[in-house]
Amino acid sequence: MTEPAESRRSFLFSTAGIVTSSWLAANWPGIAAAAQHAAHAASVSGSAPVGVLSKTELLDVEAIAAQILPSGATAGAREAHAAYFIDRAFATVFANRLQEFRAGLTDFQRAFQTAQPAAASFGGASSDQQIAFLKTVDRTPFFETMRLLTIIGTFAASKYGGNFEGLGWKAIGFEDQHVFEPPFGYYDRDYPGFVPYTKERAS
Amino acid sequence: MSPRKFKSGDTVDFVVVGSGPAGGVIARELSVAGFTVLVLEQGPRLSPSDFEHDEFKYFYLNGISNNPLQSPQTFRPTPDSPTKLPESRNPLIYARVVGGSSTHYTANYWRFHEVDFKERSLLGSIPGAAFADWPISYQDLEPYYTKVEWDVGVSGLAGASPFDPPRTKPYPMPPLPVKSSGVLLEKGARKLGLHPYPAPMAILSQPYRGRPACVNCGFCHSFGCEVMAKSSTLYNMIPEAEETGRCEVRPESYVFRVAMNDKGRATGVHYFDREKREHFQKARAVVLSANGAETPRLLLNSANARFPHGLANSSGMVGKHLMFNTGAYAHGVFEHELNEYKSVQVTRVVHDFYDSDPRRGFYGGGGIDARIGPQPIGWALATGPDMPRWGADLKARLEAFKRSMTLYGHTTSLAVEANSVSIDPELKDAWGIPAMRVTYKDHPDDLATAKFLQDRSVEILEAAGAQKIWRGSVSLRTSSVHLLGTCRMGNDPASSVIDKYHRTHDVKNLFLCDGSSLVTSGRGQPTMTIQALAFRAAEHMARFARRNEI
Repeated sequence: MTEPAESRRSFLFSTAGIVTSSWLAANWPGIAAAAQHAAHAASVSGSAPVGVLSKTELLDVEAIAAQILPSGATAGAREAHAAYFIDRAFATVFANRLQEFRAGLTDFQRAFQTAQPAAASFGGASSDQQIAFLKTVDRTPFFETMRLLTIIGTFAASKYGGNFEGLGWKAIGFEDQHVFEPPFGYYDRDYPGFVPYTKERAS
Repeated sequence: MSPRKFKSGDTVDFVVVGSGPAGGVIARELSVAGFTVLVLEQGPRLSPSDFEHDEFKYFYLNGISNNPLQSPQTFRPTPDSPTKLPESRNPLIYARVVGGSSTHYTANYWRFHEVDFKERSLLGSIPGAAFADWPISYQDLEPYYTKVEWDVGVSGLAGASPFDPPRTKPYPMPPLPVKSSGVLLEKGARKLGLHPYPAPMAILSQPYRGRPACVNCGFCHSFGCEVMAKSSTLYNMIPEAEETGRCEVRPESYVFRVAMNDKGRATGVHYFDREKREHFQKARAVVLSANGAETPRLLLNSANARFPHGLANSSGMVGKHLMFNTGAYAHGVFEHELNEYKSVQVTRVVHDFYDSDPRRGFYGGGGIDARIGPQPIGWALATGPDMPRWGADLKARLEAFKRSMTLYGHTTSLAVEANSVSIDPELKDAWGIPAMRVTYKDHPDDLATAKFLQDRSVEILEAAGAQKIWRGSVSLRTSSVHLLGTCRMGNDPASSVIDKYHRTHDVKNLFLCDGSSLVTSGRGQPTMTIQALAFRAAEHMARFARRNEI
């Protein structure tokens, strides 16, 4: 069995860097309770609060997500409503990380304004301007967090708020079904069967 | 027969801590043998309808695995490094439910080979490693491997691999249907003169012992099976134990201390129930099968006047020699659709590189299997030296999802004494019990082996006709689901924790059996061996109990 591939630099699932062991030990009951409550709330589709990000924040978040997984012949993060997932996630399962996320977004916006003073906002800039700027920040923890959230928002089950109408899965051809039957793909269609080895193992 | 319900104050013959691959087997074997058994499992008991196709929940919200907010762990690469809280999930990951990690495992069921048990004698010492032989041989374990295949339910084709160790019986059912990744692995590997063969899997290819065959839904790796085709102890050993009328499985019961009397005997265990109320369960003997992380932690947290450094730890070896199994992967993109998200993870394996070969210049070996790898989120988040991380290039890589497959090289980990589970001096868990501190740094030979198998994987993908190949990163591991070696088996009480019957050297009626018992890591698929050890251990425990030697 293998472990999931995931960002090591995103702060999102991290407890390191913002709390000490002692702090966590002293405060864990509240954290655990909040996380469990949030997870429960999020699991009840449609009942969780939405809207913790401001309209300006949401526009920039959507624009960043749309560059991470762009639209094209198939849906990208924008069509999959990844930004909606992100907004909802910070109202529920990642509520305790909202402040940290918002600080990262504010730093991002300031840096963009410095780099592109003529642009009103990242969300309002041209695609070329956005890509040029993202190339300068794509190794930062904030970008890693956006990358992680964008991907989860595009490919997680729709009940979490993203992957609108399964567009993320459709973009890559993933089907969520409970039963499949062989043949599964092109190469196993005409498989003649396993041919046993006749020779003894070589030394 | 109705499952047994023990009353408060009852003394059971055996209390088993953990209901996973080992605990489930031991509970079943001991109760079938006529003993009363109480299994205490820290997680809840779920049914097939509780499991979901939800990658986000299971991989990123700790759906059924240990949660760092409840059960935090700290990590450091070496004893002199600063200790940190985990960057993502806990370093040592296990399923926290009835059935334990057999609930969420991928279910690769290779047997260990004969060399795994005696490599120290064959190869000599290795600098920086506590390399040792097992006190038992493959031949000692062979009857129990067969028992696993038939009692637990394993699909496979006996004799298909020219590298397979001797066996006394064929598999009880044929291999699962081959996937396109299996066909391509066969094509590439045979072209290179290698010997791919049908993967042995603890997933049913046909109805067996009251359970249905796999429906190929594709959600095995880290998910609970919704149709009971995956051979978890939740679906086989546990119900069969309960059926005897002598076994009770008590979920949401978190054992935090093993109790001892002044004669040096274990008297039972202290545990918390669902409401965090404390209880004590008396037993004639205690069996810890809590996994390779929690078993040593429980022993260390059970220190007393007689064992000030941890229960059964006169050797000082409790928690040491943690092994993960290293590994590395390569993704291949092909012309036509494979649709690897359908069906089980693995259908073909190559064992040509299983043995260590001194000509490579480093110790280690392993197996290469063909698989889908992760689900969509994990697939998209995968990183490697030349893999695009965002933008149109990432999108293009993801749009090849249906045409892609993974070859994964599963490899050895050397036992290194400093790699360990110990007790964090500060951190406590949700119940106020001292948390575990993980110390781990791969031995250089482990990384060399992982890179070696990745190179072979790339060659196979090329020979199979891959249009594009992406390599995953080969780097120091900071987490694992394979939790091995932390209470190693041995004949010498000065250098091991348990004897070859799984009895602790220090406490006559305290037995340990799970991943912690392993002396070497095997090549990446340890659960089959853990269950074979459990069948064997239970037989000896029953023998001791009948003779009143517990």
